[in-house]
Amino acid sequence: MVRFENVGMRYGMGPEVLRDISFHLRPGSFHFLTGPTGAGKSSLLKLLALSHRPSRGLVTLFNREVSTLERDDLPAFRRKIGVVYQEFRLLDHLSALDNVGLPLKIAGAKDEQIEDHVAELLDWVGLGNQVDAKPQTLSGGEKQRVAIARAVINRPQLLIADEPTGSMDAEMGLRLMHLFQELNKIGTTVVVATHDLALIQRFGNPVMYLKDGRLSSRAADSIPESFSEPEA
Amino acid sequence: MIPIFGKSAELQLENDVSSRYLPIVISAMIFLAAMAIGGLFSLSGAISDWSETLTGNLTAEIAYDPAADLDQKTKDAVTLLAETPGVKSARAIETDETLQLLEPFLGKSQIIQELPIPRLIEIIVEDGSAIDLEALSEKLATAVPGVRLDTHRPWLDKMVLLGRSVQFLAAAVMVLVGIVTVIIVIFAVRTGLIMHAEVIQVLHLIGARDKYIAGQFQDYFSRLSLLGALPGLMVAIIVMLVFNYLVGSLEASMLPPMELGFKGLMTLALLPVLVALLTRYTVRHVVLKSLSGMM
Repeated sequence: MVRFENVGMRYGMGPEVLRDISFHLRPGSFHFLTGPTGAGKSSLLKLLALSHRPSRGLVTLFNREVSTLERDDLPAFRRKIGVVYQEFRLLDHLSALDNVGLPLKIAGAKDEQIEDHVAELLDWVGLGNQVDAKPQTLSGGEKQRVAIARAVINRPQLLIADEPTGSMDAEMGLRLMHLFQELNKIGTTVVVATHDLALIQRFGNPVMYLKDGRLSSRAADSIPESFSEPEA
Repeated sequence: MIPIFGKSAELQLENDVSSRYLPIVISAMIFLAAMAIGGLFSLSGAISDWSETLTGNLTAEIAYDPAADLDQKTKDAVTLLAETPGVKSARAIETDETLQLLEPFLGKSQIIQELPIPRLIEIIVEDGSAIDLEALSEKLATAVPGVRLDTHRPWLDKMVLLGRSVQFLAAAVMVLVGIVTVIIVIFAVRTGLIMHAEVIQVLHLIGARDKYIAGQFQDYFSRLSLLGALPGLMVAIIVMLVFNYLVGSLEASMLPPMELGFKGLMTLALLPVLVALLTRYTVRHVVLKSLSGMM
């Protein structure tokens, strides 16, 4: 599904923000990605989302090495990946229905198909009565659920979420995590980047721990209590 | 729906301040281009008219010679000309008639009567006649010494040269207008790409192809061009009509009226469409090239 081999990444001529990253995500797995601020989590997610290319090493997604992808291949690959951003990145002038249906519209689906599918999905995330609402009229939790619905409408094989619970209370955060678990149960590979160590410990999924651009794999119960705590 | 009228559903380019004034600039460009086209086609028509008129009407001049029998010379020349194939008519202009032609310049004075005025013969050539004016001129000069055939060729050549130069300038103005329009559109599109970089990134990440994004830019900018071109063209047509009215109201004006003919009118009518298409393909090229630099 996803394989990184000795991957390094830098922005322009700057220093490497990711160094010698190697890991393998099996189809249907659920991983947390955590680490202190500036450790390189967002950069790693950018590589997973095909938003950036690695500076070195091999990134293999869906059995294709990313550097061999032609520009015309990217849209099809990106449709297999759902991305949920911390800041939602919804289009403010579009309704919840139009935001969620956008990936289908771009893929060339018919209007009736889009409406049926989106309505069903908005029901699933608990926003069935908010289909016409614009993002600015929705709360942080509601926006995040619209963003999740948009990320999963193409039935992606890989779902990436960057700090999805960062802008909401603990209860709403838990509800979102349950949505991710439901998606994972139907076979979607899920990677959730979060600073919330309590959340990681509560769910107990494998953890990818990033620090100073280097990655280590850990069990949920072996991560430090806080990022400021010196490691053993 | 015709794609050219589509709206940029996701990018909302309609709300950009940077491109809001583009139609005004396009309007000014179209006005200049339309006036250049007007000049180009009118001059083309005028040059043909001058050429036809002056080739169809010739003048033979018998130089004043107090020792010669000018009346006999005039008669001989008229006879020779009338017998020449291709000449429709040859008429001696009476001395009084010639003096009348001079009156606007010299006034009604008795002294004019005493001037050494040459005799003139007005020659009308048959339509479509392939008469050899050089040969006729030589034949006339040999048969009636002192007669000179004025084909108006040197004057016509100068006028044609002037007309062609102005035509060249008009064509250069059109090319310049096209280049400036393309440059303005390129700047506006690049600004739009920068302003909407975040939404473009989101569209890419949810699977949009470059052509999908380029489509929104090209539809929007083509629409702006068309909206700018129509008023620019209308103003140009009004200016041409006013110009023609003024030229018509000035008797014996040296300026030809703006008469475009069928080809000119078609070119004017196509101008907004051509500008919209030029904008469309410029925008498409710029957007696709810029997006190809992104992941």
